[in-house]
Amino acid sequence: MSMLHIANLAHAYALRPVLDGIDLELPAGSTLALVGPSGCGKTTLLHLCAGLLAVQSGQLENGFRRPAVMFQQPRLLPWKTTRDNIALGLKALGVPAGERAARATAMGRSVGLDELALSQFPHALSGGMQSRAALARALALAPDLLLMDEPFSALDIGLKGQLHRLLLDHQAEHGLAVLMITHDLMEAVRLADTILVMAADPGRIVHRVDLATPARRRGDAEVYRTTAELLQQPAVCASFGLAAPADTDSGCPVRPLRAGDEARPAPAPRQKGCSC
Amino acid sequence: MSLLRAWLAGIPAYLWSGWGAIASLLLLLAAWEGASAVYGALILPDPGTVFATLAGLVDSGAAGPELAVTARRALIGLTLAIAAGSVLGMLAGVSLTASMMARPLVTVLLGTPPIAWLVLAMLWFGASDGTPVFTVFIACFPVIFVGALQGTRTLDGHLKEMAAVFRLPARMKLFDLYLPHVVSYLFPAWITALGTSWKVVVMAELLSSADGVGAALAVSRSHLDTPATLAWIAAVVGILLAVEYLLLEPLKRELEGWRRSNDEARA
Repeated sequence: MSMLHIANLAHAYALRPVLDGIDLELPAGSTLALVGPSGCGKTTLLHLCAGLLAVQSGQLENGFRRPAVMFQQPRLLPWKTTRDNIALGLKALGVPAGERAARATAMGRSVGLDELALSQFPHALSGGMQSRAALARALALAPDLLLMDEPFSALDIGLKGQLHRLLLDHQAEHGLAVLMITHDLMEAVRLADTILVMAADPGRIVHRVDLATPARRRGDAEVYRTTAELLQQPAVCASFGLAAPADTDSGCPVRPLRAGDEARPAPAPRQKGCSC
Repeated sequence: MSLLRAWLAGIPAYLWSGWGAIASLLLLLAAWEGASAVYGALILPDPGTVFATLAGLVDSGAAGPELAVTARRALIGLTLAIAAGSVLGMLAGVSLTASMMARPLVTVLLGTPPIAWLVLAMLWFGASDGTPVFTVFIACFPVIFVGALQGTRTLDGHLKEMAAVFRLPARMKLFDLYLPHVVSYLFPAWITALGTSWKVVVMAELLSSADGVGAALAVSRSHLDTPATLAWIAAVVGILLAVEYLLLEPLKRELEGWRRSNDEARA
């Protein structure tokens, strides 16, 4: 069975270590979310998985045959229409022109792009539509592994919700594995089967959560509750630079920036369910 | 084919948009006429005389062959420079080392005056076609090379990464990724090179050849025939303007259709 297997992976840029002792497994059809603060090496880890960087030490075995990547920015080619952009990966595979146009149109429709948007150039589209096109371009390859680097971070919550639904539907239908990076804990809780929390300097995994309910059947209440529970974990708070929770009922309070600030009254503990 | 049709369909609107340019050219003619009235016909014949002389040269069959010879030399040199400059420039642009090494060499080439190359070419090629062709090539090559180099270097790294993860084969990387971006740098360089080639070829012929517009200019100069001199100059400039504004500009508009619709979307 195809899976992504990483053991004791380490990576350094020049002499600065960015990843150390990473172990993870991603079996076919499941979703793994990497959460962590900016600069903790999440993107480096994803680039290693995508083969954009060479492995320096440790093991990385990618048993998936058709991986696809969705980047943080849409990265559409400005001189190609949306349809041709969606068909780009198919063209690289050598799919004939007529068939790839048909498949790109079908995939574009399924992410909610109409005929006009498909025949326009990317600059004429809104940010949300560009993201949909980027998702369609990745999904058009019928991948068995989808790597996503904060793909929805620039979108409003309504669009985010729509694209989450699209992704979950596609996953239910085709059974692809997803490795996603996000710094939105709630997004991770909504989509993932397993959440790995990373900390920086050097990037390492500090906490693991397995979610029992399948993502498609997770209701809003459960998502909010699980996110709140996650924020009560000392390791999660520490990773995001927040003070440890005072008691089990509260989330992590925001830690002051400088030592001198501690003379001021301590900030009130955050409300439950807030994603910090 | 669709390119040709779009080009033909675009001509009327394009010509209509050219009234401003025509008005400024007519102002130039008026100034010329004025200067001619002040300095006299020997120094500066008026435009009417010059164009009549030009018409006479065309009617007598003297102009056609000379212009054809000159055009052939310019186009051979330009074609060689476009081919070599575009390919080598893009290759150099792909590698950081190659582009760093190429920069100073290009500066040396650009800094050397064409007249110096012409003297060398006369030593190497004598009075053959090789002299003007080589001079045109060496004058145009660095301009095109720099255009191709800059175009290739400025391609967004994010798009290159995207192309890598979608496993674009080399052929697609060239035609779908690099060329559409590089063309917007190459095309202006080609147009600049076209102007350069046309000027340099006349200069080279003036000093080294027995035929062509340059040679005809040398003859009219030795006869102190100012109207004929200006007639030849008018022919050379007229052909350059016609090629640039009737052929290259519409073609450029068509090639960069995606860019124009972007601008419209932003407006």
